[in-house]
Amino acid sequence: MLSLETVYDLLSVVYEPMFMRRAMVGLFLLSLAVSGAGALAISRRMAFFPDTVGHSALAGLALGLVVGLDPRIAVILFGVALGLFIVFLTRRAKISSDTSLALVFSGAVALGLALISRNPRNAAGLTRWLMGDILTLGDTEILALFGLDVLAFAIFAFHYNRLILSSVFPTGLVGRAWVDYLFGVFLAVVSVLAVQAVGVLLATALLVTPAATGRILAKTGGSFFWLALLFSIVSGQLGLWISFQPGINASAGATVVLTGLAFLALACLYRRLVGRV
Amino acid sequence: MLEKSSQAMPPEKSPSSPAIAVEMFGVGASFGEFEILREVSAQVPKGRQTIIIGPNGGGKSTLIHCLLGQIPYEGRIVFDPPRPRIGYVPQRSDFDRYLPLTANEFLALGLTRRPIWLGLSGVIRRRVKAALDLVKAGALGGKPLGGLSGGETQKVLLASALLTDPDILVLDEPATGVDVYGEQLLCELLEGFKSCFTVIMVSHDLATARAHGDWVICLNRRVVEQGPPEKIFQPATLSATFGLHQGLIFGSHQTEPEVAPAPPSCCH
Repeated sequence: MLSLETVYDLLSVVYEPMFMRRAMVGLFLLSLAVSGAGALAISRRMAFFPDTVGHSALAGLALGLVVGLDPRIAVILFGVALGLFIVFLTRRAKISSDTSLALVFSGAVALGLALISRNPRNAAGLTRWLMGDILTLGDTEILALFGLDVLAFAIFAFHYNRLILSSVFPTGLVGRAWVDYLFGVFLAVVSVLAVQAVGVLLATALLVTPAATGRILAKTGGSFFWLALLFSIVSGQLGLWISFQPGINASAGATVVLTGLAFLALACLYRRLVGRV
Repeated sequence: MLEKSSQAMPPEKSPSSPAIAVEMFGVGASFGEFEILREVSAQVPKGRQTIIIGPNGGGKSTLIHCLLGQIPYEGRIVFDPPRPRIGYVPQRSDFDRYLPLTANEFLALGLTRRPIWLGLSGVIRRRVKAALDLVKAGALGGKPLGGLSGGETQKVLLASALLTDPDILVLDEPATGVDVYGEQLLCELLEGFKSCFTVIMVSHDLATARAHGDWVICLNRRVVEQGPPEKIFQPATLSATFGLHQGLIFGSHQTEPEVAPAPPSCCH
């Protein structure tokens, strides 16, 4: 069976330092899950959702510390609860999704800061939570990302059509309530695990940017999914490689984000020059 | 008036054929404190085309949402068969027009769990093509959904509803945003479907209702009247349904016992 060590050995031809090999594997696994999730998120006009749930990690972390729960578990549980709450607000309180997200975003960050400020020692490591560092990925995070991929592709395989249909045709007879809540939970889990692995900035950018690029170039729903996946993998790996070059030596996460945005700009330019048809 | 309307007999309701597809008993619906529907009792004959007419804000679309079970309501709605397959064509498709999705893919979304990113199977392609051909839109399959005109979009939505193999086809003002030619095609299609299943259509176009309806329900938050078109298109009924405006047009100087709106464009 293919073990992580074997994979790392194989990747030694690309990068010598082990932390870069781990980052390469981690980014690849993350790209698989977040590209499709991002395609669904922007189709359902929920591009700000990952950012909101990602920032809620702060409150989840603080609550975990207060009640004595493993912070990783607490962050996931709090993120899922928040995702369900956002969907509930949007559906029942007749508040538009952007307003719901803004309200929950500010509330979650405020709650996290209030709890953390009660004991400043808890603030240690918050920067990593918010900004992340792809280069410090451990085997545990990589295995969690693999689990995330399994979950994501189970959703993509069995529910992708229904999720797209309910975004195109919201008044249709597609049992909208459970579809909305299912997607809320799924996107919350993806966002929180991505944030745990790479921080809020990179997680949000990886979720939204490749999907937006794919959407600009795609002509069909099928190609939209594959182009989002392609740009997610390519911008992640290329960004990581660029950041590692001696002349660059920049933050890996930030370079990945900028690379993704560069592809987005090129896609816009291409579409402007060539047209959609 | 409500009591009178609830006693009206659908054309096929005879001892030999229990032909009621939908029967509503005292249906009421509100948005917050605003009452939209009050004590709506009406019948929809099976295998016929029922048209719900009424003024804007009269609760036509709300009644449709009650029928579809999309909003909570008071009262009772009884279907025959008890759990019918309902195909639904909405009034307006407020979707993201820049979403990359072809008409073929859109129609396949509700037909199969095989995700569209794996491509459409041959069986699904054939079913989608057959549905599009049925609504005379076979050439639209490969086109992006967001690039279709209003009439083309309505045809694709109609094909989507037909793919559910419906017992009841519900259309909420299907001619909204459709040009004369598109409306004509739509009317022809619906005429052809009459014998296949029960059709319930919301329309604000009296001429269409008169020309194509077998049974008309006049709705203005309550049922003002229901019956065959020849019974409905009377000055008093239309005045009661639409208020002073329609009364001025059809009623105040009308000497004929029956109002005959100009034939719709599709009948020219």
